[in-house]
Amino acid sequence: MGSLGINIPSGIVIGISLAIGLAMVAVFGYTSDQKAIHVAKNRLKAHLLALRLFQDQIRVVLSSYARIVLATGHYLRLAFKPLLFVIVPITFLIVQVDRYLGSLPLSVGQTFLIQARVSNSDLLNQASLLLPSGLSSTAPPVHDPAENKIAWRVIAEQNGVYAVNVQVADRLFPKSVIVGSGVQRLSPVRLRGKFWERIFVSSEPALPANESVEAIDVQYPAREIAFAGMEWNWIWLFFVLSMAAGFLFKSVLGIEI
Amino acid sequence: MTFGRKVALADRRRCVACLALLALILLCPVPSHAYAGPGAGFAVLSSFWALFVAFLYSVYAFLVWPFRQLFRLLRHRNVYAKAKIKRAVILGFDGMDPELTERFIAEGRLPNLAKLRGQGTFRKLTTTYPAISPVAWSTFMTGVNPGKHNIYDFLARDLANYLPYLSSAEIKGPKRSWKIGKYNIPLGGPRIKGMRRGIPFWHWLGEAGIFCSVLRVPVTFPPEKFSGVLLSGMCVPDLKGSQGTFCFCTTRTNSDKFREGGVRVPIERKESSYSSYIPGPENPLSGGSGDELKVKFEIRPEPGKNHARFTVDSETFTLKVGEYSDWIPLKFKAGVGFNAHGIARFYLKEVSPEVEVYVTPVNIDPGRPDLPISHPLTYSVYLEKLFGPYATLGLAEDTWALNEKVLDDDAFLAQCYANHEDRERMLFDALEKTQQGLCACVFDTTDRVQHMFWRYLDEDHPAAREIPRAERPTVIQDLYARMDELIGRVMKQIDEHTLLMIVSDHGFKSFARCVNLNAWLHQAGYLVLKPGKTESGDWFDDVDWSRTRAYTMGLNGLYLNLKGREGQGIVEPGVEGESLKEELRHKLNGLVDPESGHVGITGVFDCDEVYAGPYVENAPDLIVGYGEGYRASWDSVMGKVTRQIFEDNLKAWSGDHCVDPRLVPGVLFCNQKISDEKPAIVDVAPTILKLFGLTLPGYLDGKPWTVGISTSRSVELSAAS
Repeated sequence: MGSLGINIPSGIVIGISLAIGLAMVAVFGYTSDQKAIHVAKNRLKAHLLALRLFQDQIRVVLSSYARIVLATGHYLRLAFKPLLFVIVPITFLIVQVDRYLGSLPLSVGQTFLIQARVSNSDLLNQASLLLPSGLSSTAPPVHDPAENKIAWRVIAEQNGVYAVNVQVADRLFPKSVIVGSGVQRLSPVRLRGKFWERIFVSSEPALPANESVEAIDVQYPAREIAFAGMEWNWIWLFFVLSMAAGFLFKSVLGIEI
Repeated sequence: MTFGRKVALADRRRCVACLALLALILLCPVPSHAYAGPGAGFAVLSSFWALFVAFLYSVYAFLVWPFRQLFRLLRHRNVYAKAKIKRAVILGFDGMDPELTERFIAEGRLPNLAKLRGQGTFRKLTTTYPAISPVAWSTFMTGVNPGKHNIYDFLARDLANYLPYLSSAEIKGPKRSWKIGKYNIPLGGPRIKGMRRGIPFWHWLGEAGIFCSVLRVPVTFPPEKFSGVLLSGMCVPDLKGSQGTFCFCTTRTNSDKFREGGVRVPIERKESSYSSYIPGPENPLSGGSGDELKVKFEIRPEPGKNHARFTVDSETFTLKVGEYSDWIPLKFKAGVGFNAHGIARFYLKEVSPEVEVYVTPVNIDPGRPDLPISHPLTYSVYLEKLFGPYATLGLAEDTWALNEKVLDDDAFLAQCYANHEDRERMLFDALEKTQQGLCACVFDTTDRVQHMFWRYLDEDHPAAREIPRAERPTVIQDLYARMDELIGRVMKQIDEHTLLMIVSDHGFKSFARCVNLNAWLHQAGYLVLKPGKTESGDWFDDVDWSRTRAYTMGLNGLYLNLKGREGQGIVEPGVEGESLKEELRHKLNGLVDPESGHVGITGVFDCDEVYAGPYVENAPDLIVGYGEGYRASWDSVMGKVTRQIFEDNLKAWSGDHCVDPRLVPGVLFCNQKISDEKPAIVDVAPTILKLFGLTLPGYLDGKPWTVGISTSRSVELSAAS
């Protein structure tokens, strides 16, 4: 990918931000009471202006503060309905994008930790890590009985998509590890149960229920995206660009936000 | 369980599930969910931005507050120490007539005014010469006679060419411009110069540290700086710079021009829709060529229904026949960076077989004012944000449209009361914001409605003779009752430390007969037309100035064609001028209408007798006081000479006050006892200044009234302040 590899993530974020900005403004405009939002925002501005116009009248100033708070609450109430339509799909979209852009794959020569959490501390001594070729352990495991955790320090030797196995007694519990570059779908953790947490943080199937291992996680490095001469976490870049796109499209579409 | 309950339960379950999902999303401690897209971002930015600004301003206010207080203390030591009142509320009802008020009180229609009269004062309020709103309200606010404030009529004359101009303000283009080819790029904004002289009394109150809220008092455009807030009233122009030009769009072919106040615009048919336009201001880039900017709009009647869909820029709305739109924003585009912002209301008059639409004059947008209409500039914006768009035009009630029969009675009244309701909202906001100080608000509705509906009140008005008395609407009775109800609500808002004063600038009389004074001057040999002419056009077209000794224009002013003053003057100032004035006074005073036998002119007043001050030289030489039922004719006002001197007034504009000022005093109600028997409008300013404990400026012509406020209350106020 060379230099293109640096630009692909920022290109993806820009594209998503523009699309989401446009879509969200349209959805917001369609699902909200535009007239009421217009009135609510104007009232808010009026109370702000009142602070300045009647600044020597302490009673007016204090009542304007109270009205600003009330008007803000009213505005948020009006924005809540369109937010309901917007926030759910956007959240799931962000979760999916985060799997690609939130972290970097491991690189060759990089050491990293694989941690497993078991259901009780007695099992820690029975746990071992089975590594495929291309990955190797660099140190003996470290036990944390207070947290029921065991950690292995591993080094990546070759690019590839690996399945490492945590063995407890006779049972194997696989976990994916990706060594490489560019944009790839990463799953930093594999969990047992915890449906909603899995939805948000894991892209692997659940660990078997009623078994000894509760979670296995791989610490991928966080991804920084180069844009406009700065290094950005993708979510911040998305925040800035989607807001900018939203404000641009709201003017174009004449939608009150 | 009924089906409806099942649906409701299912809805509730869905709602709970959605809320639970949302809560879960928001509560999950994953960094990426902290920001859930621009929807959430907008909500957060828009709402918390306001709180953030408010917080920043609080910090700023908190830091500077001690310094401001110290400054105020040093500058206005114990502001209310000598004040007899904490707050003065002055409600101006333009044209409220004392005789009608007394009559309606006697009929039990005005319980609140009756109460005010019982507990305080009711008097006739002597008006100005002439009894015209801009003159009288200028005197009200400055406390001086017109010779010191320079307003004698709506119009003043250009001495060089005898043409009229607006007496209250002068609006010119920018001082400099840059010519590129056929374009003229203006460098700077328009220049606005107020012509009213004298200092409004709220200026002195502000100087003393007493806060003032002043709403819609006439002749306050352009707004002057003072310590308080002010929204300009009568004399604010529309976006075209006129005093109100409505637009009547129609598919009917009619080349007749409206006498004044409106333009006719054709509607063009395009398959199933129609298109037309609203003429706006002159293109600022056209370099004075007169090119008008336009906003186009589309009308799409719905087949078989009496309504139509309108599209104006990005705004779309549907109107039924006989219905007004809300205020619609109009953007007149001249070029990049050169836009004029206005607002107008649309009224669908007819949709089949022809299409007719009335559009109000394009008002200056109060939310984005292209000309200053308030002080501070943000006050009009504040009111717009708080209450929505509102009429800013000085004469916002479109009397011309009713006169020209473009609007009917109901449509006109609907427009008047819509504007009135906006102003009521502004008044109550100002009352709330002005707990101490002055709150003054003038309502125009009383004036406009009486002008246009007096015909139904009069026994035998030529404009309503064919309507039987029993079938006439009680518009004016309802108007007074409505104002009384407003006064009642204001009375509930004020405490015992507040002085409430209800004033009007003049009263009202019937306007049944027109007097063309220029025709009389012509027939009596004082005004001479060019050879072969028996009539003139508007503004003295065809008048032979080299042989003309006197002329009239405007509502009550009569001018000598004075040598050295008028461009083509022939009357020598001094003895000749004085003797001509005497001669005219003698001949005009008591002029009888040959048809009715009534006296058409009951008084002619010499400006040297009724005015004193540095601007007397701009005054008419004589003020003509018409008798009851008479007024200057529509033609005479516009400098036109006709053959007939007296004629019936057949227009809806059927009541007036531009008569002998002695016949049309205003009203004065007060919630306190006023012992003066003959109060005048010129006394209001000194009275208010004195009640607030201020020293009166020496140049005032008015005398403060003796207001019976109990000493104990004054003592309480001193202690409180």
